[in-house]
Amino acid sequence: MIIPVLIGVSIIIFTLTRLAGDPAAAYINEKMTASQIADVYEKYHFNEPPYVQYFYWLSGIVNMDWGWSKTAGMPVTDAITYYLPATFELALASIVLAVGIGIALGTASAVKKNKPFDHTTRVVSLVGVSIPVFWLGLLLLLLFYSNLHWAPKGGRYSDSFISAVSAQSGTGFLTIDSLLMGNLNLFADVLWHLALPAVTLSFASIALILRMQRNSMLEVLQLDYVKTARAKGLPENVVIKRHARKNALIPTTTVVGLAFGALLSGAVLTESIFSWPGLGRWSARSILRMDTASILGFCLLIAFIYVIANLVVDIMYAYLDPRVKLG
Amino acid sequence: MATTTESRMTVKQDASSSTINLDDITAQLRPRIREWKNSWDLIRHNWTAMLGLVLIIIMIIIALMAPVLAPPKGVDAMYIPRDFGLPKPPFIEGHPLGTGEMGADIYYGTIWGARTTIVISLYVVLTAALVGLVIGAIAGYYGGVIDEVLMRFTDIFLSLPALIMAMAIASILTRSLDNMMFALILVWWPSYARLIRGQVLTIRESTYVEAAKAIGANRSRILFRHIVPNSLSPLIVSITLDLGAVALVAASLSYIGFGVPSGYAEWGRMVSDGQGWFLSSVPYQGVNYTPWWVVTFPALMILMFTMGFSLLGDGLRDILDPRSRR
Repeated sequence: MIIPVLIGVSIIIFTLTRLAGDPAAAYINEKMTASQIADVYEKYHFNEPPYVQYFYWLSGIVNMDWGWSKTAGMPVTDAITYYLPATFELALASIVLAVGIGIALGTASAVKKNKPFDHTTRVVSLVGVSIPVFWLGLLLLLLFYSNLHWAPKGGRYSDSFISAVSAQSGTGFLTIDSLLMGNLNLFADVLWHLALPAVTLSFASIALILRMQRNSMLEVLQLDYVKTARAKGLPENVVIKRHARKNALIPTTTVVGLAFGALLSGAVLTESIFSWPGLGRWSARSILRMDTASILGFCLLIAFIYVIANLVVDIMYAYLDPRVKLG
Repeated sequence: MATTTESRMTVKQDASSSTINLDDITAQLRPRIREWKNSWDLIRHNWTAMLGLVLIIIMIIIALMAPVLAPPKGVDAMYIPRDFGLPKPPFIEGHPLGTGEMGADIYYGTIWGARTTIVISLYVVLTAALVGLVIGAIAGYYGGVIDEVLMRFTDIFLSLPALIMAMAIASILTRSLDNMMFALILVWWPSYARLIRGQVLTIRESTYVEAAKAIGANRSRILFRHIVPNSLSPLIVSITLDLGAVALVAASLSYIGFGVPSGYAEWGRMVSDGQGWFLSSVPYQGVNYTPWWVVTFPALMILMFTMGFSLLGDGLRDILDPRSRR
């Protein structure tokens, strides 16, 4: 299932690169003679039929030749390795927040069905799926940066740490690097910078997960085995945590894959607002500079990540639900 | 039953007696009207769906009344009139919601933006639904190789987040509203094709389709007279929810720079135009303001628009699904 989808995505991206204009244009300048231009076509196989070109392009992708990023001033693959850790750190923080908060609130909301708490969380989740991410980010900045001065305006760390950060060549994950360096001040600073972007990015995913967990929890609470557990005289707390919540998690896992998609799209917007030096901001800047190679490279990468994330979700599903067998 | 057959026969014998014909038609329509009434009653008692409906109606009124609410001043009504000054706070110099980037009137943009958004959403969702309907119905009904190819194709599209896919397509096109809508349609139709195909597969096996086959109805009649009308309720729910979802994705695309140019009355674009001022401090007549209004009003409209369709869509889903109905 995963291989045909990836091939399909690559065909679409390839088609887009060819529709974007003559691919040879990148290698040709006005001083070239006709025969030199013909050589370019020959060398890069641009005069072959499209399906042959596709295989050359694909082997280029496999061999890490993704084209040149005007925006970053380096090859697309280098730009991706450069920007990926920042985005990955942000996405990881957000998904942890989204899953944790979403499941906790969804469970509690189902248990307190139609009580004020339930109504409040439902309104929050409704706003969560409807609010534009970019406005949420700006609102949080207005409140926590402009008015309360609790949060930084953006970036991954304060200016005073520039020398400390540039001195080391670690994993690129500043939370890990700062701990490896034993620099707890930097670690705290990095977390402080991470907070607002992570909350902004996770908000839509929280709403999605919360809603799913609430619905599946309501369904599970109706089932006979939950009644049995209650009839046995188990404390309500145990019935909910051990019996109901565990099984209610199964349908929710499928939505986590979807939530991850919302997160990757949200990254483009969130990173721009918080000047987060990651893939999303890079691609947003590429859009303004009409840098097609960078945008398509970004989309191809996101496609890979998204497909793999959903594969991981499927595997988790099989682990959580013994009735599902991996084929 | 006997009377209906009788009246039909009278019609055949004497085509000029149109009164009987009309009765016949109303008799046929009656159950359908009753069904609609029933659904409407259910919506009326679902307060979240009603809230959604009210929000949507407000948006439609704003869009239709735009020339009255905010009379256009320039050549192209879709561009916001500007005075090229610093942002001014609300309720000053005839700007009810203040001004933003280049002194653009926020009130004007907020009102006319409703038009832009409704046009984008309706155009994208209806086209995508129509394309998906035809392709999904064909794939589901005929099956075989056509089905296989079409469904693998939709798999690919559905395996990517909508915003990212739309970005990829829009990136190779020139930046314009039409191209943005085109990209969104390309992204959105596969989900409709999938939905309709699933419906068709279920309905194809039902007894009334078997009955239609038995009396010798041809394939396209069965497909478009029996199967498609019966798969409409989930389609209506999907369209309602997507009208809001498309508005949100379209606003995001405009915000990051696809679609309309700066100064155009489009909510996402207005937010990106104005966000530079949002955290700054601007003096007006000796007092310093933080121009919160430049971003807040258009963004609030996006929120209300999306929320309206999301509420109504959820309500419709509960109502139109007979299993969760009573």
